[in-house]
Amino acid sequence: MPRERYRDRDENLYATVDAYHLVENLEHCLQCGKCAGICPVASLSPSYNPRQIISDVLSGSTSRWLKSEEIWRCFWCAGCYTLCPVDIHFPLLMMQLRYLAVASLHGLKYIVPFKRFALRAREDGLTFAPGSAKGRERIMGIRGGIGLTPWPEVSEKAREEYRALFDMTGSTEYLDRIREEEDRPLELTYLEGRITGV
Amino acid sequence: MSRQRVVNPEEKFPTVPGTVFLFRSCTGSLEYPGTENAVKETLASLGIQALMDPDQTCCSGYLLTCSAHKPEVSLAITARNLSLVEKKDLDTYTFCNGCYGYLSELSHIMMHNPAYLQMANDLIARWGYRYEGKTRIYHVQEMWYRLRETIGEKVVRPLSGLKVGVHYGCHYLAKQYGILDDGGYPTFHEEIVEILGATPVFYKERQLCCGYAVGRGFTHREETVQPHLFKKLTSARDAGVELITTVCPGCNVALDREQPHLGKRYGADLKIPVIDLSQLIALAMGVPPQKLGFEANTIPLDVVLKKLGL
Amino acid sequence: MEAALRIAQAGFHAVLVEKEPELGGTLRDLHSSFPRWENPRELIDHRVGLLTKSRRVTIRTQTAVTSSARQKKGFRVSLKSLRNENEDELDVDAVVLTTGFELMDVSVYGEYGYGIYPGVMTSLEFEGQLKKWAQSTREIAADAPRGVALIQCVGSRDRSKGNPYCSKICCMYTAKQAGLVKDLFPDTRVYVFYMDYRASGKEYEEFVRQVIEEKHVRYIRGRPAKVLPEDGRLLVRAEDTLMGIPVEVAVDMVILASAIVPRPGTRLLAGMFGARTDEYGFIESELHEPVRSADRVFFAGGCGFAIETTGALNQGASAAAGVIALFNEDR
Repeated sequence: MPRERYRDRDENLYATVDAYHLVENLEHCLQCGKCAGICPVASLSPSYNPRQIISDVLSGSTSRWLKSEEIWRCFWCAGCYTLCPVDIHFPLLMMQLRYLAVASLHGLKYIVPFKRFALRAREDGLTFAPGSAKGRERIMGIRGGIGLTPWPEVSEKAREEYRALFDMTGSTEYLDRIREEEDRPLELTYLEGRITGV
Repeated sequence: MSRQRVVNPEEKFPTVPGTVFLFRSCTGSLEYPGTENAVKETLASLGIQALMDPDQTCCSGYLLTCSAHKPEVSLAITARNLSLVEKKDLDTYTFCNGCYGYLSELSHIMMHNPAYLQMANDLIARWGYRYEGKTRIYHVQEMWYRLRETIGEKVVRPLSGLKVGVHYGCHYLAKQYGILDDGGYPTFHEEIVEILGATPVFYKERQLCCGYAVGRGFTHREETVQPHLFKKLTSARDAGVELITTVCPGCNVALDREQPHLGKRYGADLKIPVIDLSQLIALAMGVPPQKLGFEANTIPLDVVLKKLGL
Repeated sequence: MEAALRIAQAGFHAVLVEKEPELGGTLRDLHSSFPRWENPRELIDHRVGLLTKSRRVTIRTQTAVTSSARQKKGFRVSLKSLRNENEDELDVDAVVLTTGFELMDVSVYGEYGYGIYPGVMTSLEFEGQLKKWAQSTREIAADAPRGVALIQCVGSRDRSKGNPYCSKICCMYTAKQAGLVKDLFPDTRVYVFYMDYRASGKEYEEFVRQVIEEKHVRYIRGRPAKVLPEDGRLLVRAEDTLMGIPVEVAVDMVILASAIVPRPGTRLLAGMFGARTDEYGFIESELHEPVRSADRVFFAGGCGFAIETTGALNQGASAAAGVIALFNEDR
């Protein structure tokens, strides 16, 4: 593995990443590895390691995580946060890393599948509505059969306001701008120099 | 050790409320509507009235964590939904770990960052809403544990001999502070299972995540989520689990609907039905299975229902 | 004991008030010591011998302090015998508090299964097991666990569920315990899960290296995430952080090096003499006075903070020096 030069690192990376001030205690990290020990993804993907990602952020390095496949693998099970002896909320860090990646057009392929789904949710005021007519019929049948309204009651007012909030906060625009064609390629960047295959 | 982590249920609920706001779960309503019925039936038998509101929208948390939108909209949506509850002067009860986790986290962010609270309130003010942070957010599993003795008294159909593997899910225990357990070795679901007359099974991967949150069930289904679920479900099967309970319709989708695909991919025999803990409680309390919507389940409940003589 | 001896040697009178039936504190529970693998029993017996012989030392075992009233130059201390409930009073000119430490209740770490799985125990409980094995007259090879995992920092360096501080001596005594297992059962696999190993003292680093290099204990850098039961054994899940690989190690016993905390009685006792304690209940020293907590009140050993035997002895001597200086001034 080639030697990495520290002068190429960004001292302010942590502040940039934690734009929403959700993970203010990152420097408390002891690199103890309890997070990686419990992480279900780490036990499946050889190159995914939450502890190493924290280390990269603290030392100002973007060379790996920004264009990595790895940051898109976190399940948000929060096993790491549950066990962390200094209460670092790693999933919230992950969420913010993903926004930065998307801003530089990395990882769009993992958001494109949700684009139509999200735009539909914006109309319904509900998420998870079946996409097909058959699906809708089926669930309405089941609901009616057990004494519920065929479709969950969400008022017209609620749906209007939900839609308006999406528009006002720029979320609709954010979704519209996500285009598959612009997606930059990702790599398993943390695999370099690592032992793989046990 | 700064803040208090574990709270015992009597501290959490010094008195039992007469009316609660039941927060509609999208996954619940559109995947397992029987869960909503079960929750309402159980609350009713415990003397608690559940109010729902058509003006309530989705909590928006799932798509937020899928990075499909930015926090600003979810903060505003949370503030709007919770202000509805506050207008009724009630506390918010969810029956989905997802709704619970997102409402708790987003309201926490607003309570600790005045700028975000201001932004959210500015957006929703045009419709006359205002969020103050007064309504407390609970998950019905907490109330089931609080009133477990009452539930025990109302069991008319003890689920004797049924081997139940519990699935806590992640987003309730992930709150870490001010909840019933710190997640190291939770047992409060197993205690309820025992009170219902069934036998809890502590299978090896009991505390493993369902893998479906934040959309990974779609984006990484074959790569990580299926091998992951395979580990969990085979661990349950090998320990003799006959039924898995969840407290999150999202987890229910993962554990239930993925089994046939795992069966095909790994050639494994996996047929463990997965239902909500509230549905199990409702069954034990005598609610007829027809009202509990098991038709929505992918893995059928017949073997279990037959075993229980239903 | 050290303080009492020095005070007596200087020509003054010391009364040793001890709650337990025997003198020695935690040292009595130990099987061996670091860094020289000595027998703590010999250390205690040597001192108890000197104390018993001294005409200026009164030993009051099974006695507790119930209250105290400050007088012009000293205290009137009320004592109670735990044997026969008799009460009496003692007028003293100075007090040295040496109430020692205990281990944190680690059942809060549900992920480690203390109190749930029988193979999981604290380091102090394990020391008792080591003693039993070492002193057994029968053949113990059949008792040998196939694997032992020792976990460091359980409750220490933990701002979430435990205490933020480092308990100082666990890295050393864990190495000691690991080495002892290998001496007893050479074929047993022994693993120490650590974050850093802290060996700052004379012969300390060499001691830990000896345990790793000559006794073949395997050190894995990673704080375990979970202990799970499987097929009658215990699985320790952790990340080997130096390799960056999550691991699962099968053992039969899991030893938790639990955080060192002051005994709850320390705070009460300190209050009786006007001594201050910190947020954890450890006794606080005064500015420029490392072993004095209040006027005429000194302290030494584990009640001030986690410390090893030599350190406690030195503090005892230092407290004695403080008392002696005070008494010389009084004259």
